[in-house]
Amino acid sequence: MFWKALKKSLYHPNKVKSLNKGHLLFALSLPCFYWRCKVQFLINLHCPCQMSEGAMAVVKPEMKSYIWLQTADGSIQQVEEEVAMFCPMICREVIQTGTGSSKNYAISLPQRVNPAILGLILDYCRFHQVPGRSNKERKTFDEKFIRMDTKRLCELTSAADSLQLKPLVDLTSRALARIIEGKTPEEIRETFHLPDDLTEEEKLEPLRNITDDPRIRLLNRLYARKRKELKEREKLKNVEVEEERVDDRSVDDLLSFINGGDGDTKGTRTNKNKKKNRRRKDQSKDSCLNNVNGNHNEEMHDLHSACHDGEGNNGLLASASTSSKLQDSAAVTFSPKLEFDDGDMDDDLDPAMKEELDREVEDFARRLNSVWPERMQELFQGRKLVPISLNGNSSMSRYTSLDQR
Amino acid sequence: MELDEISNLPGHVVDQILSQLSIREAVKTSVLSSKWRYKWATLPNLVFDNECYSFSSLDQTVVKSKLVNIVDHVLLLHNGPIYKFKLSHRDLQGISDIDRWILHLSRQSIQEFILEIWKGQRYKMPSCLFSCQHLIHLELFNCLLKPPSTFKGFKSLKSLDLQHVTLAQDVFENLISSCPLLERLTLMNFDGFTYLNIEAPNLQFFDIGGVFNDISFENAFQLAVVSIGLYDKRQSHAYSSNLLKFFVHLPHIRRLEIQSYFLKYLSIGFVPGKLPNPCFNLNYLSIRINFNDVDEVLTALCILRSSPNLQELEVLARPEEQAAVGTVTNIKEDNHWSCHQLRLVKIFGISGIKPELNFINLLLSTSPGLEKMTVKPASNNGGWELLKDLLRFRRASVHAEIIYMDP
Repeated sequence: MFWKALKKSLYHPNKVKSLNKGHLLFALSLPCFYWRCKVQFLINLHCPCQMSEGAMAVVKPEMKSYIWLQTADGSIQQVEEEVAMFCPMICREVIQTGTGSSKNYAISLPQRVNPAILGLILDYCRFHQVPGRSNKERKTFDEKFIRMDTKRLCELTSAADSLQLKPLVDLTSRALARIIEGKTPEEIRETFHLPDDLTEEEKLEPLRNITDDPRIRLLNRLYARKRKELKEREKLKNVEVEEERVDDRSVDDLLSFINGGDGDTKGTRTNKNKKKNRRRKDQSKDSCLNNVNGNHNEEMHDLHSACHDGEGNNGLLASASTSSKLQDSAAVTFSPKLEFDDGDMDDDLDPAMKEELDREVEDFARRLNSVWPERMQELFQGRKLVPISLNGNSSMSRYTSLDQR
Repeated sequence: MELDEISNLPGHVVDQILSQLSIREAVKTSVLSSKWRYKWATLPNLVFDNECYSFSSLDQTVVKSKLVNIVDHVLLLHNGPIYKFKLSHRDLQGISDIDRWILHLSRQSIQEFILEIWKGQRYKMPSCLFSCQHLIHLELFNCLLKPPSTFKGFKSLKSLDLQHVTLAQDVFENLISSCPLLERLTLMNFDGFTYLNIEAPNLQFFDIGGVFNDISFENAFQLAVVSIGLYDKRQSHAYSSNLLKFFVHLPHIRRLEIQSYFLKYLSIGFVPGKLPNPCFNLNYLSIRINFNDVDEVLTALCILRSSPNLQELEVLARPEEQAAVGTVTNIKEDNHWSCHQLRLVKIFGISGIKPELNFINLLLSTSPGLEKMTVKPASNNGGWELLKDLLRFRRASVHAEIIYMDP
């Protein structure tokens, strides 16, 4: 067979006689630059005068070279060599295995590259393989190029990765990150069709750790509410998130725990849950009385419970760390163990107020979708932003919505 | 139910996506679905900056404790190697929690460590930092370095950036000379040492700005890009020739910026007409100069004469010293010298005094390849006179364009 003979001749140049002139001419017209070079070398080596002139004449008029590609669905297409070779994976196949030179020897592309996506990728390669384009041109092209729905963008990322086309992977993963950025978990799930397969309990764990976006704080509240309902319904007593337990400790807690000075840290409190809770609840109620007016909303309440939780530990620790201590605890606003006392608080409120709070929470859930600061403004529209000093010795003050009605 | 495409992307692609997000956004993905639960936890690069936490509280303690909490949690939940750790928050002080984080990181093969203390006192680096033998890039802001006696250098370090740091003289010298692979060095606003003896065989990039008495290079022949600013004009040290001493170790220099009062330092001692070994590779030069100081002008001319391949020149006049007119430098002679390659010249902050005009005249008459000279005076006083002079000067280049910019 010709092909075999040609290959053989490349590795054993002396046996080139098995090829005739026609063969070599054909080999010269092969799409692959690599082959052409090799064969040209052979020709120059063996029949310098009779062959090369004629051969050169045939090759000279710059034939467009093509590479044959086969996608996983079996369809085969030919692609301009310089475009296809822009993908490192294809380039490697051509050089290492010598495939792609004809329809019968098409390069089979990875599973993740379907014909539609291949079309897109080739568009990308076709543009970027042209030398001398300015950075601005390239940027404009890229920006336009990634305007597609997220499903397609994911497919494209996956395909580009399988073709080892790093610049395109960089581009698409950046685009995907921009899509994720600033969205709520619900929105992300919806955008990417992610299954919502975590329990409310599970969702709460990591959120606890990134406390300080007020959005997340309020989201936590929302989750806490759901969780409470869940709890009531299922009559579940202690939940099994023990392994996350340690995260709840503030630094000082941890230190005092290590030093063994204070056994009554949050970490160990788990066991004494009930007793502790009672005490905290009492404190919560007390603080209610001391408060600006009893008319606070839930968020304030949450801060309170957290604050008091801190206070609970605090008395036992060195006073120097008092204020930071409080903040630490406030940072860990929600943890399932704290069983913070929505119920108790709500009981203190009149039904109308309670209803309004419910509405507010639902309302907030809807508003979470949008950019924070504007929404915050909206949320607080018609209300005053009042910094509330929560604790005499605490320097913490936060903007909380205080209902003035 | 549509297919969940994004979750099925290969792990390294998901990592790449997550690494484009701020740490907060990345951690948030753990509530998306079970597949995303711990995806973020293997991210090798952790960046805690203003993005990761921006609560509009003015209260220091609140901010501090939140920040500490966030870093603690992330480090605790993180799983896998950490290659890059950056901590730079505008409300961050040098608190002892950082010690603990560095200890944690020092047990990993951390490669890139960036710590910027924006507030308060210098933060004393814990000794465990000096055991991070995988470090490639180290960047510290507002820190105090005091390595333990067992410190043997950072064997892999290629890039060192120290700003607002305190180091003892011996610590500094030892640090630089015991990082054999060092390629980039940035030093800004340091104290504790005043003699800069740079011994770094692989150093290519060197950017320094601060108060120091003397600078010398030793076995730093790869240096190609150098920017030096000496912030103190009191010059105490005098070698026989600071200029010769400085350039003898810079044979491969390509870009040189002489800022603040460093030209004054170079002008101390003997200033030859030309350096014994020309800077053949120098194609960009920026100098800040006091045109009233004859020595400085002569030094600048010496560098120019010794840079046959210079293409771009920037001259910034130090305005505060332009007042007293001393002896007028006569520099018009110069017969055998021309800047053949010089194409672009910028001269900023001049006031139109004689030495400045002489200098411009000289450049115009000796640069046959000049394409553009941009002149921007310090003030509008005497603008017309300056223009008239500029118009009169003969130009060696027929293509030269002079652009006069309003101050």
